[in-house]
Amino acid sequence: MAIADVDDMYFHYPRASLGAGDEGWTLCDISLAVHAGTTLGIVGESGSGKSTLIRVMCGLLHHQRGTVRFDGRDVGDFRGEDSKELRRKNQIVFQNPRRSLDPRMTIRRSLSEPMRALQGRRPDDDELIVSLEKVGLGREVLPRFPHQLSGGQLQRVGIARSLSVDPTILYADEPVSSLDVSVQAQVLNLLMDLRDELGLTLVMVSHDLGVVSRMCEEIIVMRNGRIVEAGRTDVVLTRPESSYTAALLVAARAASL
Amino acid sequence: MLEIRDLRVHIDGHEIIHIDELDLPAGTRLGLVGESGSGKTMTATAIAGLLPNEAKASGTVRFDGQDLLELNDAEFSKIRGKRIGFVFQDPARALNPMMRIGRQVSESIRLHTNLKRRAVNDKVLELLDQVQLPDPAALVRRYPHQLSGGQQQRVLIAAAIATDPELLIADEPTTALDVTVQEEILQLLISLSEQRNMSVLFVSHDLGVIRFVCDRVAVIYGGHVVETGCVEHVVSDPRHRYTAALLAANPGMPKDDDFASFMGQRLHTIPGHVPAVGKFPGGCRFRNRCEHASASCAEAPMPVTLGDGHRYSCWHPDGES
Repeated sequence: MAIADVDDMYFHYPRASLGAGDEGWTLCDISLAVHAGTTLGIVGESGSGKSTLIRVMCGLLHHQRGTVRFDGRDVGDFRGEDSKELRRKNQIVFQNPRRSLDPRMTIRRSLSEPMRALQGRRPDDDELIVSLEKVGLGREVLPRFPHQLSGGQLQRVGIARSLSVDPTILYADEPVSSLDVSVQAQVLNLLMDLRDELGLTLVMVSHDLGVVSRMCEEIIVMRNGRIVEAGRTDVVLTRPESSYTAALLVAARAASL
Repeated sequence: MLEIRDLRVHIDGHEIIHIDELDLPAGTRLGLVGESGSGKTMTATAIAGLLPNEAKASGTVRFDGQDLLELNDAEFSKIRGKRIGFVFQDPARALNPMMRIGRQVSESIRLHTNLKRRAVNDKVLELLDQVQLPDPAALVRRYPHQLSGGQQQRVLIAAAIATDPELLIADEPTTALDVTVQEEILQLLISLSEQRNMSVLFVSHDLGVIRFVCDRVAVIYGGHVVETGCVEHVVSDPRHRYTAALLAANPGMPKDDDFASFMGQRLHTIPGHVPAVGKFPGGCRFRNRCEHASASCAEAPMPVTLGDGHRYSCWHPDGES
């Protein structure tokens, strides 16, 4: 069953100057379905609309045309207290953990924020430690500030923070592209383990086809705000129909081992 | 072109870099690879004479016969930016946001040559054309924010090669870029190096990228070269356990397009993390993270040389246990 689906969706940012056809639109004619318990990869170059798309799906940005549904219900219908529920169930892990955590907050405070804001409760240290342990961290990071942790540790905090409110879909927006190869491997393994243990639905934005072909059963290839190709990852990457997907594969193979 | 012998860098009494021997012949491309904190950028910084004040370098870094470590600031600045060019990781930060492109590219030409204004302008247009940027005449009047990341990196490369340097130091030049743009920029660096017989010192954490660009590679850990040789040899037949671990951690692409069995495969991880400055163990510096370490690793391993300059320092090399 589709836990999230998008139908003929168009999106433009405020004050975009719209012209004939696609002009001014950031996303055009987007249709897709995310199935519960699966992992979907979204690939494409910078500016192709990948990050905008997941923000629309989480209800952080509002589309102008078409439909975006979560759990069968239009995201526009989640209002007031309901909108918190939409945000709680759709969590995003961002690319750069150093920029997405407030540098003046301790990890204890950053980690408690989603629970306070979305569930209106104050978690105690024991609960925070449980969520830290899930991502391979411990009690000792609670009183620390972001600058005292490494990039890999911070990204683990970002993941723990998203999982703390028990989301249905975890969106990961280039979760490892600001990390070293060796730390990337740790974070990717962690995401795979958590997905399997918690039965999470994972939507992963990445420009790394190696990562996507390892982790995602389904793939969407985007360019200039449109989906140029979609399907099962092994099928799409073995026999790409779009010349753009083929070009991405050539580039990915060139500089990979 | 570049000969490093017994290069040591000390900060606060800790020896953070010790490179016995590393050569970069004219016209070749050498990759420095390692994790953050392994010492690869510090090594490049020492070669470039850009170490922070508290760092002390000793040994020799011979560039075209001249020991760079013996030069004073005034002498070094005649070489740096002229005979040695630089390209850094984040092009948006390396460019001055308030300065037009033409002026940024011409800066080193104006500083290091006596060319007249018209000749400088012609040279800038020629350089922008060489890095394959469209419509150079319009581009010189633009500001950095009007360009994409890939275009900005091309501008930086144009500026770096403006004075026809013999050596280009590139520190993670494509890490901030998309995969398609990355390939174009790497291809550009290769062809510029070939056309101009320019040596390239290429710093990256990604062995895939290094294999694409470089002839030779030096794997750095704890400020030491743990393995060096032809890129193809090192990648296909790694000996040092750190090299093998770095290779296994790389997400890569499936062999023979076998995407179906690639799915769900976990990556190999390197246990622990790179220690802070001064916290590396004695002997083999990798031993506290190495799955194959034994008591003998407490002693520094002797370098072993295979054919064709493939050299490593490991007591328990891969492929022999």
